[in-house]
Amino acid sequence: MAVVKVDKLAQSVAKGPSLMTGAYPNKSWMEVPVVFKPGNYAYPTKADKLEYLDSQQGVSFPNARDWSPEDDDWKLPENWKDIILQGLADRLDRFRSLKIFMDCCVRCGACADKCHFFLGTGDPKNMPVLRAELLRSVYRNDFTLAGKILGKLAGGREMTVGVLKEWFMYAYQCTECRRCSVFCPYGIDTAEITMMLRELLHLVGIGINWAMEPVANSNRTGNHMGLTPQAFKGNVDFLCDDVESLTGVRVNPTFNRKGAEVLFITPSADVFAEPGIFTCMGYLLLFEAIGLDYTWSTYASEGGNFGLFTSNEMMKKLNAKMYAEAKRLGVKWILGGECGHMWRVIHQYMDTMNGPTDFLEVPKSPITGTVFDNAKSTKMVHISEFTADLIKNGKIKFDKSRNAHVIPTFHDSCNPARAMGLLDEPRYILDHVVDTWYEMPENTIRERTFCCGSGTALNTDEIMELRMRSGLPRANAVQYVHEKHGVNTLGCVCAIDRATLTTLMDYWVPGVEVAGLSELVGNALVIEGEQRQELTEGLRTLV
Amino acid sequence: MELAGVLAAKQKQILELWTERTLDSYTTPGFFKKSRDLFANPVGVQIRNTLARLFTLLREGAEPEALIQPLDRVVRIRAVQEFTASQAVVPFLELKWVVKGVLGEEALQAPLVAELNEFDCAVERMALMAFDLYCQCREQLYRNRLNELKSGRALFTDGGCPSRFLDAETAREADGK
Repeated sequence: MAVVKVDKLAQSVAKGPSLMTGAYPNKSWMEVPVVFKPGNYAYPTKADKLEYLDSQQGVSFPNARDWSPEDDDWKLPENWKDIILQGLADRLDRFRSLKIFMDCCVRCGACADKCHFFLGTGDPKNMPVLRAELLRSVYRNDFTLAGKILGKLAGGREMTVGVLKEWFMYAYQCTECRRCSVFCPYGIDTAEITMMLRELLHLVGIGINWAMEPVANSNRTGNHMGLTPQAFKGNVDFLCDDVESLTGVRVNPTFNRKGAEVLFITPSADVFAEPGIFTCMGYLLLFEAIGLDYTWSTYASEGGNFGLFTSNEMMKKLNAKMYAEAKRLGVKWILGGECGHMWRVIHQYMDTMNGPTDFLEVPKSPITGTVFDNAKSTKMVHISEFTADLIKNGKIKFDKSRNAHVIPTFHDSCNPARAMGLLDEPRYILDHVVDTWYEMPENTIRERTFCCGSGTALNTDEIMELRMRSGLPRANAVQYVHEKHGVNTLGCVCAIDRATLTTLMDYWVPGVEVAGLSELVGNALVIEGEQRQELTEGLRTLV
Repeated sequence: MELAGVLAAKQKQILELWTERTLDSYTTPGFFKKSRDLFANPVGVQIRNTLARLFTLLREGAEPEALIQPLDRVVRIRAVQEFTASQAVVPFLELKWVVKGVLGEEALQAPLVAELNEFDCAVERMALMAFDLYCQCREQLYRNRLNELKSGRALFTDGGCPSRFLDAETAREADGK
């Protein structure tokens, strides 16, 4: 929070209209320095995590140290500026998209008011165009002829510690949700600019712990939580017991089973924390109902990939375990659970990074015979596509009355919606598992969906205020359908959503719960031989 | 109730100034003031609509309880933005000056003075209610933080995997280096 200016406060009370509310400096954005204070930044990476990661093959995370964003001195390496400029030169050389994005923006402003961070804060540096300008100004200054000659006149500016601090502030006030890109006439992918900013910051040891600790854990045990194979299996076993006591159906999933037809990979939060575990029970029931020949992997035990929020090398390395496990276990194809950014990595980068997968087959549903040609390159099918296909072919039965306690709306999770076009399958599923559900207003759904405000490893509690204000545009639309139609459930297909929208709803729209789509499927699913208790709250019912 | 009539007649100017001043508390208020689409511009439109509703309620002498829900809508937004507590709730207090500014000389004339004093009291009461709501919002935030910590969603286990107990030297030996 801002510091109270007591003299101004007294003056305003004594003399009339307040100076407090409108007293912001009206300076050029380049001249307004960032101020770090508790609540507006995520904690830096712990030095031991970074040291561990730096010791690993294929990735580089140098300059580990203890530092605080609130200190003047960030203990940067002496040649930090050379490192950053050389890093930028390397990336301009390697990534043609970055070069184009640096050059082609005409500052039309179409993106400016589309960012949930800008809409929640009114901070101009949260306009995507200006956030990109933080990098672009340095690019102009050092990498373009006009900038080299004209400097500031050509929109260039020198790389200084102040600029670096600004990068840290705003690269972590972007969730890479890509809503702005939908509106950009040039298709500039601002998420990739944020990715570059974060990569450059990592070169001088600057990053956030909430991203890097899960990355370190994933690198070591395969999942964000650092769960060992035994703990991972143990958690799923607990869920199987819960499923049995709720429905009378005993599910017996297998782990690391060679020769299974399908490998199933989902975010580890699904087996670990509420409300993801209810989604997981939904998967378990569905697979039992159709008799799917599948296995879990205790190493590819995480669909999420915080490498995406870190560096392209890290993303590639963490992603590689999916195909490695598929190969080791000899499965035919991979089925993926409800996760957001996992699907962006799969759909946009996986094949290039870790493909081609000639050892896998084009996914074919063993139940319906449907061939998923859309997944020909990655060999991975989304659980919603898979479920919708089962419904369409009449292979599963539902009793909608089992979801009578639920009046849902559907939140299009950013990445499945914008990065893989998963728009209609979840809606088709909802049509079949609940009596009625309501759409939020049209400029807040489908490709134009608003982010939960806590993606890209910003789902940490120390920036709670920031998360609440960036999540406001989403919550505002939920509030509308809550008040108009009595909506009490926010359906989604993303693990970060399930965790963070729950908190967002607690603050903005109390009375709305968050549920994974597969949980609603599990609630309504009719299975032969089941002995369901009276489950007034579906799979969440305490029995 | 002469004042009620005057306030009704001047409602448009009062709301314009009140909204303008409130939205001016943001660094880049241009868009917040311009866009009238609730879903494209939640901060601007929620504040604009809610101030209008609050003013109408005050003008009509509504019971204080009726103000809570609309007040909460604005306070809840400002409680998570980069304002101090006083900055967050000061717009409500400012209504006094806004009204006097718009009424001008008229506000000093005998028939209105007494009624305006009462109106000022109602405005002050509203500002105090806003402060209570602000505190509730902040408490809710702390509860949210605790709930997240307790839920297990925030847990990254620091133990469990035997490999992490290897010291650096043993690890190097194990790697054959």
